Amino acid sequence: MLKKKGWFTLLSLVLVLSAVLAGCGGNNGGGEASGNGGKSGNSDKSGGTKELTFMYRGGTDEQKAYSAVVKKFEEDHPGVKVKIVVTAADQYATKLKAAITGNKVPDVFYFESGDTKAYVHNNILMDLTPYVENNPEINLDNMWKYGLDLYRYDGDMAGQGNLYGMPKDVGPFALGYNKTMFEKSGIPFPDPDKPYTWDEFIEVSKQLTKDTNGDGKIDQYATGFNVNWALQSMVWSNGADWIDETKKKVTIDDPKFAEALQYFADMQNVHKITPSAEDAQTLDTYQRWMKGELAFFPVGPWDMSTYETLPFEYDLMPYPAGSTGKSATWTGSLGIGVSAKTKHPEEAVALVNYLTASKEGMEMLVKAKVQIPNLIDMAEEWAADTSTKPANKKEFLDVVGEYGRVLPGHYTWTSEWYDLFFTDIQPVLDGKITAADYVKQEQPKMQKLLDKAIEAEEKAKAKK
Amino acid sequence: MQTISNLYRKEKIYGWLFILPPVLGFLLFTLFPVAYSFYGSLTDWDGLGQMDFIGLSNFKELLTDELFHKAAFNTIFMMLGIPIGLILALLIALGLNRGIPGTTTFRVIYYVPVISSLAAISIMWSWAYNGDYGLVNQFLDIFGIDGPNWLMNKYSVKPALILMTVWKGLGYTMLLYLAALQSVPRSYYEAAELDGASGFKAFLHITWPMVKPVTFFIVVTNIIGGSQIFTEINIMTNTGGPEYSSASVVFYIWQKAFDNFQMGYASAMAVVLGIFIFIVTLIQFKMNEKSSYEA
Repeated sequence: MLKKKGWFTLLSLVLVLSAVLAGCGGNNGGGEASGNGGKSGNSDKSGGTKELTFMYRGGTDEQKAYSAVVKKFEEDHPGVKVKIVVTAADQYATKLKAAITGNKVPDVFYFESGDTKAYVHNNILMDLTPYVENNPEINLDNMWKYGLDLYRYDGDMAGQGNLYGMPKDVGPFALGYNKTMFEKSGIPFPDPDKPYTWDEFIEVSKQLTKDTNGDGKIDQYATGFNVNWALQSMVWSNGADWIDETKKKVTIDDPKFAEALQYFADMQNVHKITPSAEDAQTLDTYQRWMKGELAFFPVGPWDMSTYETLPFEYDLMPYPAGSTGKSATWTGSLGIGVSAKTKHPEEAVALVNYLTASKEGMEMLVKAKVQIPNLIDMAEEWAADTSTKPANKKEFLDVVGEYGRVLPGHYTWTSEWYDLFFTDIQPVLDGKITAADYVKQEQPKMQKLLDKAIEAEEKAKAKK
Repeated sequence: MQTISNLYRKEKIYGWLFILPPVLGFLLFTLFPVAYSFYGSLTDWDGLGQMDFIGLSNFKELLTDELFHKAAFNTIFMMLGIPIGLILALLIALGLNRGIPGTTTFRVIYYVPVISSLAAISIMWSWAYNGDYGLVNQFLDIFGIDGPNWLMNKYSVKPALILMTVWKGLGYTMLLYLAALQSVPRSYYEAAELDGASGFKAFLHITWPMVKPVTFFIVVTNIIGGSQIFTEINIMTNTGGPEYSSASVVFYIWQKAFDNFQMGYASAMAVVLGIFIFIVTLIQFKMNEKSSYEA
């Protein structure tokens, strides 16, 4: 009796132990594959299905669209199976970095353009150049140069050299306006080709800011920009920037920079064309715009499906221009890359291409209204159709093709220095300190962080 | 004779095998990561590549890192919620212990936040705190008070977070107190009553000392938990609040480790935080020993 019991105990212990050990075993497996860049794939001649892991993030609409495209990819590529790992947007970075540290990098994954450098130096991203150049299925000339350049890196400067990722999409942050409100106020629509000057913008804005129901409270405002996403337009169109050409010096103490920041803050504190400072959070102003209480609001391609049902007509216009006379804004992007340690480089690249550069994949994604086409000819056709909202879709393409830029953190090892600018900015928006004073006190702090980032970058390069 | 000794030996082996899984689990999932993190804190590891030993320079840098000091201050400031929660929970427990009708209902109501997901609660409260449309300001509006945009104002964001954590933890603390109160022998109160002690005196000299072990347990676990506050902050103020006014130490660690390729530096902060928690807990244990009643 006792003996029987003893064996049972032993058996259960063995089971528990093996479960524990299996947990660690997984890691070792990942480690072995790491030996030999992409080449080890050739030894895999088992003949069975090849499994790829694809890790990405997105909201429900995007998840639906992307899993449909992946399914289609599997149908078109028999013998390849794609395992999808999807996370909410805010957890993605943590999950990816945990996967990297644990040596379990997914075969195909999204990554921030700003992380390209670090991932290249640490041999995490595979060089796609040999696979996509001279590939008859891919025409890089038909893709946005802006988007591709974000994932180029020559080992020294971002934006040039070999290609380490393909843009999942490009996200031009254009400016929209409430057409219905303009009509009601009897103000001519903004010219789609000629931007307002800053003064003109304030003037029109003042006419649009009013109390429409006569209760003594203003209930219609010109705008409510979020400083995190709208200040770039003003700074750049005024000829200033956060960082210099060499990407080594923080240049916010430029008087033109201070002028742009002051202009932004004055919209609220002096001209009172926006809801109060503390209310200028995206959530609030976004809701106001959706309710038709704001005249101007930024519009990204990802907003289009939501904005279909707005209770008013809207369209796109160029951003008001500062002293350079030219509009400016930023264009976001997220890259899709291939792990340097994948066992199936050919198939992994095929999946990336299917998602970013193929007609079939792109058509499905554009139809789902989650992005604008990556392929220029398809995009032009899409923009020419003025029957769908917004009519002036060409503005999106102008942003990507002409006046959109990447956020300053892209060029540096980390964007910590840039983030600090926005962490500390509230007193300026509240009118408690002037822009000129702020940039003077903030520049050294940011420079210190940038210096640290540069130092970290040099160290990482030296280790190779 | 021989068989018994054999059995004895076998039993010993079984005994070892039984404690092996938890010990192995501890070594693998606790001791090893802690040791690794400690080693990491002495390196310039970026979380991706090679680790180079750099001695104590991470710790030296912490001394002058303004954001770290801010985060440390915020973390300690937000622990103000612990005494507040303690007092409220004890008051509620005292009330519920009197056997008023509907006790079960109240217990459930107070306990619901405890079992709800922290992420869901954080999202719900960030709506409630919204400056324009939030429930909190709508409520204040009834009394003619113009509330701030709670999470966007550097003076109101910490109190707002404290209020939420107190609300969330209240049910758990209350339940512990309720259990403790119910185990206080009735005869003590009867004796006190005979001696003519007032209700307050009875509380001070019977109830409070009798629930002291529970108070101690709550304070210790809350300080440990409070030092590690992260989820609420990450969801409700995902940039660390205006001028970093709501960022906690763990939030800063997370930013450094996963956004800014400074795993070594982040590990150094984690080590400092771990030592801080260890020392505070040690002091509490010593203090508890000194003042505890002989059983």
